Amino acid sequence: MIIRRLSICVLILTMLSSCVAVKEYEKVNINDPDMKLVGLSIKKFEVNFQVYREGASGANGGKTGGGCGCN
Amino acid sequence: MEEKQEEAAAVINMKFKISIILVFICSFSFSQQIKTNDSTSTYKKRVLETTEVDFLMSYYQQEGNHASVTGGIGNEKLTDITPTFIVAIPLSDDNVLTVDAGISAYSSASSSNLDPFDSSGASGGGDDDDDDDDDDSGVSSTKGSPWVESSGASAQDVWGGINASYSHSSNDRNSIWSANVGFATEYDYTSIGFGGGFTKLFNEKNTEFGIKAQVYLDTWSPRYPTELDSYIEANQNLNNGFFSDIDILNQSGNIIDKNGSDIWSPLNTTLIDDKGRNSYSVSFSFSQILSKNAQFSIFLDLVQQSGWLANPMQRVYFEDRDNYYVGNASNIPIYTTKQNTGVFQLADDIERLPDSRFKIPIGTRFNYYINESVAVRTYYRFYTDDWGLTSHTASLEIPIKFGLGKFTFYPNYRFYNQTQSDYFAPFDEHLSTSEFYTSDYDLSKFDSHQYGLGFKYTDIFTKFKIFNFGLKTFDLRYSYYDRSDGLQSSIISAGFKFTLD
Repeated sequence: MIIRRLSICVLILTMLSSCVAVKEYEKVNINDPDMKLVGLSIKKFEVNFQVYREGASGANGGKTGGGCGCN
Repeated sequence: MEEKQEEAAAVINMKFKISIILVFICSFSFSQQIKTNDSTSTYKKRVLETTEVDFLMSYYQQEGNHASVTGGIGNEKLTDITPTFIVAIPLSDDNVLTVDAGISAYSSASSSNLDPFDSSGASGGGDDDDDDDDDDSGVSSTKGSPWVESSGASAQDVWGGINASYSHSSNDRNSIWSANVGFATEYDYTSIGFGGGFTKLFNEKNTEFGIKAQVYLDTWSPRYPTELDSYIEANQNLNNGFFSDIDILNQSGNIIDKNGSDIWSPLNTTLIDDKGRNSYSVSFSFSQILSKNAQFSIFLDLVQQSGWLANPMQRVYFEDRDNYYVGNASNIPIYTTKQNTGVFQLADDIERLPDSRFKIPIGTRFNYYINESVAVRTYYRFYTDDWGLTSHTASLEIPIKFGLGKFTFYPNYRFYNQTQSDYFAPFDEHLSTSEFYTSDYDLSKFDSHQYGLGFKYTDIFTKFKIFNFGLKTFDLRYSYYDRSDGLQSSIISAGFKFTLD
């Protein structure tokens, strides 16, 4: 079941990557600093306290565990 | 003879010609290589144009009533200040070194009650400010309370950490290798971390795939609740050491006979037997530009932790074991309320959790550029682990620019919920027959709402200077966090980014 779901995900991702490519000179909006696909550096401390105060962590560019006595 | 001389001369001549040709070829290829390099360096954009220095700082405070050090009830007040420097240095056109160093100085009411009988806490001089005369009803001057902050060694601590990362980009900027190493320490914990990653861009840099591995090798320098530590130190004899001058009360408030059968003793006299805690993670990321205005990414982490995953500071109380106290007998009936300022319940054990935990968080981001003033940033994460905890996280942020892009506001909202871990139970509700137990509310069932507002000033001309560094951006951000178990916190963060002229 998991393999099937993963296969579907991979297929969808492959299809997405075959979309018409946006050229470099067309990426003005995409390259806006607020469009970055990572957390803003100023949010570093928020992510840190969330790792302490919540049972879940990871998949946000922050720590996945270790480095402190938290989870 | 003459023929031989002619042959030898011909061979020498041939060798000379070959040597000339080889030298020419080598010189030509070398010059071509230089030309190639020159042309590359002429047109190759540097990964990082100049040295950047970020100074970040935050102030965090929280209030709550479920302190884990005192078994799931008690004062959770905490403050934390975190000055941090991040310096990114371009070592060449392709290579960047980033060093991130900071401290986190905190004071915690919960941690302070590792020793609640410290004279600066509930045992301190003076009345407890209520109107009754309970101070005289006690039988011992030593007292404590999960609701009163002490100021022993565990009340404050400084976490310090440094991390260095190095990245190398290929000439076409479609491949990026990275490596990092870090060290962190606090008074009861040290950590060494290292890792590496690889990112590949395809499809005219519209598609990106990344993989990263990270290892943390951590070590506890365990600190235990004072009564457990003292009990073991006194060879489990209540007439020795710390307990020799202290009266212990039973649930009825009567002083127990330390030589009798009705006496306090912890469930386990073995505390930490494995001081290591290791974390291994593999992270996968995929991102895709969907149009001129939209892009998204997916992250998957696989995290395996092993070692002592419980916190040795955190007490647990069992429902099926008798309760014993130190302090004022009159406060025993109101033990779980804030009015209790004079009695402390002796722990049954420290929290115990499995020595292994496997976590799977999956996250996705979708960003959409509406117009030159407004964009939308979204994030969703699903998390599950083999401790029975699952959670959902969703956040929305809408950057709004004005003043020709010089100023940006960031209103944002984040929702989080989680199920209860298999090993959690509230204060005094665990059974001593269980193998694992914790009353840490960070592992309980709850949901939370976080509301925030950020502000950013950008000056692409970096007019404001400090020495040779120009201020590029200034960030200010405030967030308020409200958890359904009553914990409330707020954090204010500021960041200055300077670039070297």
